[in-house]
Amino acid sequence: MRGLTKLSKRQRISAVVLGIVALAFITLDLGGSSLRAAHTGMRGVLGSLYRGTDSVLGPVRRFVEGVPTAATNQARIEQLRSDNAKLKAQLAAQAADKRTAAALHQLKLSANATGSTVLAARVIAFGPGAGFDWTVTLDAGSTSGVRVGQTVTDGVGLVGRVLHADANTSVVLLAADPGSGVGVRDLRNGEIGVAKGQGNKGFAFTPLSPDAVIKVGDLVETGPLNSSSFVAGIAVGTITSVRVSADGTVTATIVPTVSPTALDLVGVIVHPGVQGTTRTPITPTESTSSTSATNTTTQTTQAGSQQAGHR
Amino acid sequence: MNRLRLLLAATAALTALLLQATLVAPLSQPLAISLPAVLVACVAMVDGAGTGLAFGFVVGLLSDLGSAHPAGVLALAWMCVGLFCGTIATQHSLWRDAVAAGFACGAATLAATLLLVVVGSGGATAFGAVVDSVPAAIGDAGLALALVPITRAFLRSERLRAPHPVFTDLAVSATYD
Repeated sequence: MRGLTKLSKRQRISAVVLGIVALAFITLDLGGSSLRAAHTGMRGVLGSLYRGTDSVLGPVRRFVEGVPTAATNQARIEQLRSDNAKLKAQLAAQAADKRTAAALHQLKLSANATGSTVLAARVIAFGPGAGFDWTVTLDAGSTSGVRVGQTVTDGVGLVGRVLHADANTSVVLLAADPGSGVGVRDLRNGEIGVAKGQGNKGFAFTPLSPDAVIKVGDLVETGPLNSSSFVAGIAVGTITSVRVSADGTVTATIVPTVSPTALDLVGVIVHPGVQGTTRTPITPTESTSSTSATNTTTQTTQAGSQQAGHR
Repeated sequence: MNRLRLLLAATAALTALLLQATLVAPLSQPLAISLPAVLVACVAMVDGAGTGLAFGFVVGLLSDLGSAHPAGVLALAWMCVGLFCGTIATQHSLWRDAVAAGFACGAATLAATLLLVVVGSGGATAFGAVVDSVPAAIGDAGLALALVPITRAFLRSERLRAPHPVFTDLAVSATYD
């Protein structure tokens, strides 16, 4: 306590006053919407600054992030190491372009498979308080059609949903956020349940029915339609372990399809396609053999569409 | 001189916030290494608890308003970082100051996360915060090792020196004279 005695009386008073002001801010922000305008304004300003900074620092970040996954190009990298810095920078830019092209291709495939309209956007910033804010900022906003609550995918799996949409940027709450829950369906037996985000460790899946048999290796996707805040039919992950507790509750761990810390190009589903399509009821047919044939066709189509959803 | 100090403080705070979101946070995920907190600690080490207190509060509030959690949490945490680092600074040893800054920032991040757990906001988990706090503090100390000499050089230059001699300055001159 030698240190605290060094404070002057004025400093001690200002410390107490500022502490009270900070606590008042927390209370105000938790209690209501009185600080919403300040939040929105500051996010808008920082969002546009992030865009500018990212255009300069983005290539550097993407190069450093690409280093651990570059092992497959080892021979090529060895050769390039002897080259000058200019060539290295070119390679980094090329790798980033390639990754972008692959990601865009994936988004296009998923848009084709599900019939939904997907808006491509780049991650330009991660939550300022990494570790307790599982959010990312995208470089597309309400002027491009992004609205609060829309589902975000990377073309393969679920990323999260839009939390705030400013004019030119938007903030996405990742599905991995430990405060977020996703309504999901086990693809093997159709059991539905809730997958709670667990950050880097994936999701904890609890089926609604306590009798559900969940197996390791089961694929899990969002759904069922219209009962969760996410678009249905997007891959969430694969079950890696199942635990049954003493009271019979089943909890399974899901390894996510999309790593929440390696996001770059993502797609915002601005218009889910499959909802609201008109269909004709199934009518009984004369011969039994043709009925079974129809059933088989239906099953095959279902399996096909599920596979397509997982591409 | 005062205007110049304010201008520099604003520039430094903004730069730290931008670098944090576009470079430090993505590269250090999932650890919560915080460049603005380290900046607050380094400024407080040179200019004393009073400056650290005010600077920490303002930078924290800006960061709070720009993110999804309730405003005031980081303001409170980083204000305490400024206050603490201002009172324990030695001005002699770079290593000691950097390690102290790192662990003050790590502790502040831990405290902020626990506070968010208590008020039930966002995706904070107490267990994860405790597990990650030590590596995060080491990362913070690494940043501080680079930032302490820079802040010292700036804040001790003739044009940016504090208008009133701060307590730690007196202690140093008494030792050296």
